[in-house]
Amino acid sequence: MKTITKNLMAFSIGLIVLTIAFRFSLSSMLQNRLFGSVWIIAAIYGILIFIIGWIFGKKDKLYLPLYDIGFRFHLATYIICNLIAEVWYRIGLQTEYENVRTIHLTAIFWGIGLLIHFIIYLFTRKNAIKGIKKSEIFE
Amino acid sequence: MSKNDQLSELLSAWEETYKKGQLTLWIFLSLKDGKKYVDEIKSFVEEQSNHTMTCESQSLYRNLRKYQHVGVVDFETGEGNKGPERKYYFLTGLGLELLNSFIERNINLFFSKQIKNLIISED
Repeated sequence: MKTITKNLMAFSIGLIVLTIAFRFSLSSMLQNRLFGSVWIIAAIYGILIFIIGWIFGKKDKLYLPLYDIGFRFHLATYIICNLIAEVWYRIGLQTEYENVRTIHLTAIFWGIGLLIHFIIYLFTRKNAIKGIKKSEIFE
Repeated sequence: MSKNDQLSELLSAWEETYKKGQLTLWIFLSLKDGKKYVDEIKSFVEEQSNHTMTCESQSLYRNLRKYQHVGVVDFETGEGNKGPERKYYFLTGLGLELLNSFIERNINLFFSKQIKNLIISED
């Protein structure tokens, strides 16, 4: 089964660009002590991720309705967001108001959510043949 | 609403639901008839069903991708008419076995004497 599809690649590239732009904007705003406006940039970032995930996920499903699309997109999002956050800190682009503990705590709690998603994915697998839900093969 | 209008609406509603589950059978029958590319499958389905079945090429491609993925259909590329290469789809051994089992369990029962008589009887 093809795990990294064309649409997942396109989503990942979009996500990398958005995450770097978000990190840059976040650090700039914190540096300028615009603490009250940070939520706006975070909300825009969240909405944009949701939109590109929706578009490319739907395209992926239309091409071939594999049941694990949601999990693959979630895993890619987890890896990209946390990796960029970690690298941002390691190369010293963070401000004095950002600390690595927040990044690690986010990765841990989000990781628990991802693990639950993985367990659901394993259960769904029982109702699929070669990755496609039985109810969707001949519909 | 007149009786004829009601009959027509009920028939359309029933046919709409009935046809949704029929496409796979028609696609498989067209491939049992021989290797075909998408436009030929479309023509076969529409002509052989007396145009009661219609299918969009996009929908056919999507279904064929699924069938190929689960191993009941495969394709080989062949020359098109003065154009790019075409994908000629065919039933795999598993696909043919699946179609035959489906027909045996779900279609052949319509050929029993009792059911046949019920179908042709107008009372």
